[in-house]
Amino acid sequence: MKRASNFLWFLGSVGVFALLLFGWHLIAQSGMVSRVYLAPPDKAFAAITNGFTGPNGLGSSMWATVQRMLYGWVLASMVGIVLGSIIGISAIARIYLQPMLEFLRPLPASAIVPLAIAFFGLSESMVLFVIAFGSFWPVLLAAVQGVSSVEPRLYEVARALNMSRRETIWKIALPNALPDIFAGMRIGLAVALVLTVVGEFVGGQNGLGLEILRASRQFQAPRMFGGVILLGVIGYSCAVIISNVERYLMRWRASR
Amino acid sequence: MSQSAVATSQAAPEICFDGVDLSLGGLEILKGIDLEIRRGEFICVIGPSGCGKTTMLRLIAGFHRATAGAVMHEGRAVNGPSPDIAIVFQDYGKALLPWRNAADNVALALEAMRVPKSQRADMITGFLGKVGLADHAQKFPSQMSGGMQQRLQIARALAQNPSVLLMDEPFGALDAMTRQTLQDECLNLVENMGTTVFFVTHDIEEAIYLGDRVVTLSPNPGRIADIHTVNLPRPRNQLTTREDPEFLRLRRVLFDFIQGH
Repeated sequence: MKRASNFLWFLGSVGVFALLLFGWHLIAQSGMVSRVYLAPPDKAFAAITNGFTGPNGLGSSMWATVQRMLYGWVLASMVGIVLGSIIGISAIARIYLQPMLEFLRPLPASAIVPLAIAFFGLSESMVLFVIAFGSFWPVLLAAVQGVSSVEPRLYEVARALNMSRRETIWKIALPNALPDIFAGMRIGLAVALVLTVVGEFVGGQNGLGLEILRASRQFQAPRMFGGVILLGVIGYSCAVIISNVERYLMRWRASR
Repeated sequence: MSQSAVATSQAAPEICFDGVDLSLGGLEILKGIDLEIRRGEFICVIGPSGCGKTTMLRLIAGFHRATAGAVMHEGRAVNGPSPDIAIVFQDYGKALLPWRNAADNVALALEAMRVPKSQRADMITGFLGKVGLADHAQKFPSQMSGGMQQRLQIARALAQNPSVLLMDEPFGALDAMTRQTLQDECLNLVENMGTTVFFVTHDIEEAIYLGDRVVTLSPNPGRIADIHTVNLPRPRNQLTTREDPEFLRLRRVLFDFIQGH
């Protein structure tokens, strides 16, 4: 029963997607927008399939983008989890660091691009720094929240068992924070994709961002749209993968 | 009282409150508490809310330090939590680790006791079996009923191999049928293991049914009003024990005491 309705929902979402494609096709066919700017869907997909492999293909650009995004995201997540746990556990650290964090947090990551260029130049490190800076905040805040919201009763259980501080953090505070950390990492990954593209635009690093920019400057609308579609594919795949990992790790909450 | 408890009752008391006062944040919670608990004894504590029942339990647990006097465990002053004293909390939903299944929740106690990993599996099976959860080792707390979760918490407490078991209204949140079943299971377990029990409850009948003695507390500040010895034969029985004239007499006395407050 549930299976069947899930399948219907899935069919529905495929239908909406097909409808959008068809609308795009109609608008492109009607000539309302110049072909120079708007490629029809079949051309866009052809640009992907024809130009995917090879040294200058979209495939290698896509791979470069995925790698850059993942490096930045993993770096941000590791630093975010460690720092967030420390801040979440220590009330003193919270008092000292909270005002500074509240000041830094709302800064748009793209605003620090010029700063990053000043420090790192137009380099791969600059792009990585910007990605990591942007996707760091959601993870950090989630970790602080998760670690500091442990049920006090669980700390009493730990005390009654004479568990060391390290054991308490490792076996109680961190697992307690896991759902929050995952939510933060999910947001962080979306931010990382955005900043990867921004970084590639600005830093001129190889990747889908630069590919799209170049195609648009050369009036290669199909290739430009192909690049955008591939970015969408990256975003969608990441969401699917992360929610499956999440469902497995958080299976203890499933029946709530 | 079990056989072994009779034999060792001459030694130092398992738990001893010696003129204990406790103030928290300038507020006098307990005053002049004197109580000796023999090894293997089942002590129940009742009293109106706010009389310091749970605070007494937390003193034995080492969560609070007496402001005056001393709490002794086997002749030594309690100055912090010890794995030899296990606690079963009322709110099982908060006291279990929701991300660990039943077996791993019991494992938490064994890990804290530094039991080698190779020995844990058999012990876990044993403790889960004792509380009737042998077939539910892989279930997470969220997949268990309240009664099962409380059984799991008892299994975790037993895994500490404690000499003293502190129970803070452990069956208060359960339905009547489950509560009676767990009362009997609990009596069986602690009798077999020779564990001393300090049992806080607000249920007069439960206190009489389980206890060797029932301590009544008066509030503001909490102090011992009276100590009643329960002269009812063991093993207790949910029907005959509760119909015994002695049971009914104690029920009347304790009911009048609670009404008086």
